[in-house]
Amino acid sequence: MRSPVLPLTWHLAKSSGRRGLQSHLLAAAASAVGALILLVLLAATLGSADRADRTAWRTPDAAPTQRATAAQTLTTTYVRDKPVTVVTLAQLPHRGPAPAPPGIDRFPAPGQTYLSPALAKLMRELPASQLGDRFPTRTGYGTIGDAGLAAPEELVAVVGRTSTDPAITRATDGGEVDLLAASALVSGFDGASPSAFTASDQDIALLGGGLLIVPVIVLAAAAGRLGAASREQRLAALRLAGATPRQILTMTGVESAAVGLAGALVGTLAYVLLLPALTEVPYGIGTWYAEELWVGLPWLLSVVLALTALTALSAVSGLRAVARSPLGVAQQADPRRTRKVRLALFAAITGFVVISAQSGSQGTMQKLGLIVLVYGAFWILGPWVVDRLGRTVGRFARRPATLLAARRLSDDPRGAWRTVSGLVLAGFVAGFFTVGQIGIIGVHYPGQIALPMEHGNPRVAVAQARERLKEAEVTATVRTATPDSILGATEGVVVQVRGGQAAIDTAITALTPLTPGNPPRTDDYPNAENTAVNKLIGQIGLASLALGFLVAAASAGLTAAATVLDRRRVYGLLRLAGVPLKVLDRARVRETALPLVVLAGGTTAAGTFAALEINKAFGTSVSASGLVQLSACGVVGLATMFAALVGSRPLLRKVTEERSQDPD
Amino acid sequence: MSAVLAGNQLTKTYGSTTALAGVDIEVHGRESLAIMGPSGSGKSTLLHTLAGIIRPDGGQVLLRGERIDNLGEERLSALRRKRFGFVFQFGQLLPELPAEENVALPLMLEGMPRRKAVKQARRWFEPLGLDGLELRRPGQLSGGQAQRVAIARALVIEPDVVFADEPTGALDQTTGTEVIRLLTTVTRDQGASLVMVTHDADVAAHCDRILQVRDGRIGVHSPYTSA
Repeated sequence: MRSPVLPLTWHLAKSSGRRGLQSHLLAAAASAVGALILLVLLAATLGSADRADRTAWRTPDAAPTQRATAAQTLTTTYVRDKPVTVVTLAQLPHRGPAPAPPGIDRFPAPGQTYLSPALAKLMRELPASQLGDRFPTRTGYGTIGDAGLAAPEELVAVVGRTSTDPAITRATDGGEVDLLAASALVSGFDGASPSAFTASDQDIALLGGGLLIVPVIVLAAAAGRLGAASREQRLAALRLAGATPRQILTMTGVESAAVGLAGALVGTLAYVLLLPALTEVPYGIGTWYAEELWVGLPWLLSVVLALTALTALSAVSGLRAVARSPLGVAQQADPRRTRKVRLALFAAITGFVVISAQSGSQGTMQKLGLIVLVYGAFWILGPWVVDRLGRTVGRFARRPATLLAARRLSDDPRGAWRTVSGLVLAGFVAGFFTVGQIGIIGVHYPGQIALPMEHGNPRVAVAQARERLKEAEVTATVRTATPDSILGATEGVVVQVRGGQAAIDTAITALTPLTPGNPPRTDDYPNAENTAVNKLIGQIGLASLALGFLVAAASAGLTAAATVLDRRRVYGLLRLAGVPLKVLDRARVRETALPLVVLAGGTTAAGTFAALEINKAFGTSVSASGLVQLSACGVVGLATMFAALVGSRPLLRKVTEERSQDPD
Repeated sequence: MSAVLAGNQLTKTYGSTTALAGVDIEVHGRESLAIMGPSGSGKSTLLHTLAGIIRPDGGQVLLRGERIDNLGEERLSALRRKRFGFVFQFGQLLPELPAEENVALPLMLEGMPRRKAVKQARRWFEPLGLDGLELRRPGQLSGGQAQRVAIARALVIEPDVVFADEPTGALDQTTGTEVIRLLTTVTRDQGASLVMVTHDADVAAHCDRILQVRDGRIGVHSPYTSA
């Protein structure tokens, strides 16, 4: 016999009326937002890896001498404090033709220079004495196509030379000294080492993803529980009418999965439509190419399925009580108490995290794991704190709204926790990325240019430098120097330029021919990696906060609306009896504000602590402006939550007025 | 005897449906009045109009001689809170509050300190047979017990009139009879009047007077002499 479950589910869903439809629409909206944010996180993570791969061809991958067809060097020069990656290529004599590098249609002949569009534009904007003269040709540049670039803003040059050119023969392999220079004989462009400016992109994106994944899961779970009370009553009635627990769970699962699927598909569509806009969001070296942020069909399907499953699981797990005891749920007899074991589990997990963090030897995945553990710990503790908070406030409450809020908290602490959890966990993100922002203790030599002199005599170079600087009309002092932070392991010449950035760039351009294959360096050079990582952390922190608050506000708003819909009968009858709407509204606000203030404070402190520990591990300082940012985050977070609650106020007014519209 | 509550020439329409077509009605002090009628006859509209929940299209509603149908929403709401009590079919109690706090809620809404309000609320538990159930939540009470808590909540503010909309509709006959007997007796003992909508003739029989409503008009008056 055909199972009656699916037709009955469909029939009940159709018959659930306008209120049922509203619940379904809200749930689908939550699922859509969850899918969109998950896909954005995935796009950033996968795109970062793709972007790093697209830079790998620039770092030479040494081939056996007998198989090599070309010599390749990688150097980095700076203009206006921005890095310009210079790849110098030379065809080896008496060898087969070298392949064309990515983004260029042929291997560059000696004297040919190819530029990325952004570098070409900058070169047009700046005088040749500040940038253009660093390259062998001054006109007729070729263009590096998208295939050779990781971001449209990248400043990259590919220069063709002869294999005997000093820029090739004298180039040093940065190796252990730095990651901005390399030199080798190659047979192609299959390098596996990404550029120093993209190497950390994926790790930092993963960190942001790790911090945001829990709020997103909370949102999807909230979607599954929307309309829970009305659904519980309907299914409890079915259970009383003889439906088996399995049928009840199947019906709930199917209904919620359908809603979750619809929402996830909408979220996926939104991701596809927003893709052009997402490419304009800067991260690390710049904005994105669309193909970098396209996650591909398998990931799209995975996200849709994950959201669908999560929504269904959340709804089904919320109905275990119905399946077990229909009468209990029909009468709402069980206060949903929490147990002290939660406190013990929280202590155990946080203790483990603190001890692990203090050992300071984790890789990225381990650090992510610790962050997820901290989240999990708060997830376990949250309902217990809400329960205790409700009982304590309930004991001392004097006004009806406070009493109602407190009783509601202790009546369903898990439900109350779910409402605020998104923002509470966003507090962790805020604490982590604001006060804990890593400050660089880098080298700081303003106006100084260093010329590493691995080849040649520094004393001769001093005289040549003075001559060139004089010709370029740059005022500077020039001296020989021993190895230092800028020079690296070699001796060299140090130039102290007087004047602004234009004078420095002019000096660098004038001095470039003195050290072929090893461009003059400023303090940007040794600071390059730290600057890149710090920039990434700042950007991902901002994005995590923005998305975290968005998710939290969506969770809070949807849950608030769902609560109003679920409790519309009692709210309506109370209003008929003269209970002012503002009392019901204040109770709703306090029900959210109380746990939010207490718990968000706790998680923010935990986030700050975690970031301080990481700072300690890096041996870096703490951002002083972080406290201001954190306060701003707190204000924005509270305002967001309040706005989400206010957003459901018209719904409260509407549903409590509907009961008087009965023509009987 | 002057009327505590009166409706004069009350009219109300919903689109093309006439719910009230010129109804005149008086409710006297300590009187219990049952309003009966088939579904859609306008009996609930009449109760809601008298209680200031619905504003009539025409006519007047007077409470102790003062017109209330023209009051603003805020004042009507305050009037319902302070001078009327309500008992509905079910679902009017807040599930998260224990019984005594559900009863104390109207007093707290009027600004009475919680401790005093709860103390005053507890006085109603013994006469209504709820002794020992003060700390139970609505979900832990039987249907009859929950309705008795609702009666206590309606009476705790010492109202002029208690409005009851199918107060026994969700109860079995024995429990319903017990609840309606308590409702009529305690209301009268408190000096309040009772206006009740019901479709059950046995329930209506406990009231002093029965009004039959049909197509928005008062039909038969069936006076009963209370025992």
